[in-house]
Amino acid sequence: MSKKKGLSIRGRHILEGYMFISIWVIGFLVFMAYPLGLSLFYSINNLELTQGGLQPTYTGLTHYRAAFGSDIAFRPLLIDTMQTMLTQVPLILIFSMFCALLLNRHFKGRGLFRGIFFLPVIIASGAILRELLEQGAAKLPIFLNYNLFYQLRTFIPGDILENLLTYADMLTLVMWDAGVQILIFIAGLQTISPSLYEAAKCDGATKWESFWKITFPMIMPMIFVNTLYTVVNSFTKADNSVMTYIMDSVFKSNNYAYGSALGWIYFTLITIVLGLVFLVFRKSLSASDSRG
Amino acid sequence: MNTMNLTKWLIRIQGKATDAWRAAWIKRSRSILGAFFFYFVIISLAFVFVYPLLYMISKSLMRPQDVADATIQWIPKEFSLRNYKVAMDYLNYWPGLFNSVLGSFGSAILQIVSCSLVGYGFARYRFPGQGFFLGLVVFTFLVPPQTIVVPLFRMFLDMGMIDTPLPIILPSLLGHGLKGSLFVLIFIQFYRRLPNVLEEAARIDGAGAFRTYWTIMFPLARPAMLVVFLFSVVWHWNDLFEPSLYLRLPEFYNLTQNMALFNGVANLDLQSVTSSVSSGALGAAPTLQNQIMAGVMLTLLPILILYLFTQRYFVESVERAGIAGE
Repeated sequence: MSKKKGLSIRGRHILEGYMFISIWVIGFLVFMAYPLGLSLFYSINNLELTQGGLQPTYTGLTHYRAAFGSDIAFRPLLIDTMQTMLTQVPLILIFSMFCALLLNRHFKGRGLFRGIFFLPVIIASGAILRELLEQGAAKLPIFLNYNLFYQLRTFIPGDILENLLTYADMLTLVMWDAGVQILIFIAGLQTISPSLYEAAKCDGATKWESFWKITFPMIMPMIFVNTLYTVVNSFTKADNSVMTYIMDSVFKSNNYAYGSALGWIYFTLITIVLGLVFLVFRKSLSASDSRG
Repeated sequence: MNTMNLTKWLIRIQGKATDAWRAAWIKRSRSILGAFFFYFVIISLAFVFVYPLLYMISKSLMRPQDVADATIQWIPKEFSLRNYKVAMDYLNYWPGLFNSVLGSFGSAILQIVSCSLVGYGFARYRFPGQGFFLGLVVFTFLVPPQTIVVPLFRMFLDMGMIDTPLPIILPSLLGHGLKGSLFVLIFIQFYRRLPNVLEEAARIDGAGAFRTYWTIMFPLARPAMLVVFLFSVVWHWNDLFEPSLYLRLPEFYNLTQNMALFNGVANLDLQSVTSSVSSGALGAAPTLQNQIMAGVMLTLLPILILYLFTQRYFVESVERAGIAGE
């Protein structure tokens, strides 16, 4: 106690800061750092379930090699997940930006529509509910209507049409995943001062121009946040096929070591993708920083 | 000459007047057209969002004869709650509901208290290594739960905590748990925006750091709390991963777990039905589907009601809490 009294104001400030975040740091050590280290350890060992618990024997990178070599299921799943991510993330971003711009205007019933646009987060965030909905409710009747299919077919060649329709089907899923992103964009749009638009209007800028010259750069940080969020979300969603595969290899075949190795490969992949996102946004973010 | 000029001038004025009138008319019709188009777009988008809900409600209210009736697409002839009764039995509804409410509301409240505390520390204090710790928060958000599930499970098993709610409570208490780091980030954003004056006044009046936080700053964080609360409740409510790992006794099962079981049982039934279609069991399968839809409705209803009441404040709060970064 006497020691604490001797601290300078600055020292006390620092100590108090550490006090506030200490519970989180303890949680991090126990529930994140320790398990993460242990799973890395598991992944380079062979685990044998004996009476004394798990008995590790060192095997090096065998599991990692197996994941890309002898395991025929894992690599296609990984590629598949990457492809879904690459197609869906831009779509989600564009779509949520579009929705946020619509909802940010002043019009009758704005509150109601905002409430509706966030509904999917409530309904479709769980794995089973999602699965159930995807069976029926996600398929809009318009796309199932065969009449329309044949009518369109006279204009568009079959292959392209098929692809277009799969895209249209995917679109409903994309829309369901955009709830949080719409919110983030709305919150961002609210922070842009209206006087900027007025000034631009006085200078004769069209709405199109003021979108690209004002809204877009001002909202750049939110685009970055949303990209990060969407990428992470698409990788760690409960119905992600790689996730289910990892869980199956852990709990169905009881292959703890191999499951941990798969988890680490997946985690490394996510980190690489996010690193790329950082690189892409670094320039534009620093530009908006220096301006603001 | 003079008169000609005058008439020319008159014609010019007239022309200008009609031009102006026409321009105004075009402008107005354009804005009406624009509004029409705007509402068309936004209503059709809203329809896509409401569609699954309508679909579930409609399907869940249908009786077997309605399913077979080709004239019925959306609205059944008679509203019957029979599917709901069946689904309620399958779901073990009231105990399941109790577990769901306890689990999701409890975790949400714990996460609010702990994440707010941590967020406050990050937002209002400057200390060495802050950037590093903030980096760790973001890092935590990026690690997929499946990567660390094996050691975590072993750890809880060794401590004898499996089949108790502790593996879900403890992380929430320490500012982790389901998307805990995201909630910490939300609170950081919120506290950063508050003015310094209140805190300084409290400190001058002699309140300690924690007391200042608890009596002055924490109550101010209501918008952020509401956002975190709703997110946390909904995500915990729909989460199947953690409960099915740590709470494996049937008496702990929540609605989502029961729904998964119901769906699994129903899928098996559905297979046996479709394989025995020739034996005349036709028509049974769609009914089962309707019962499942009723089950989904029952599972979702509590959080839908919660959302209905908080929705108005929620969207406001998102704006004020400033979910998005600076």
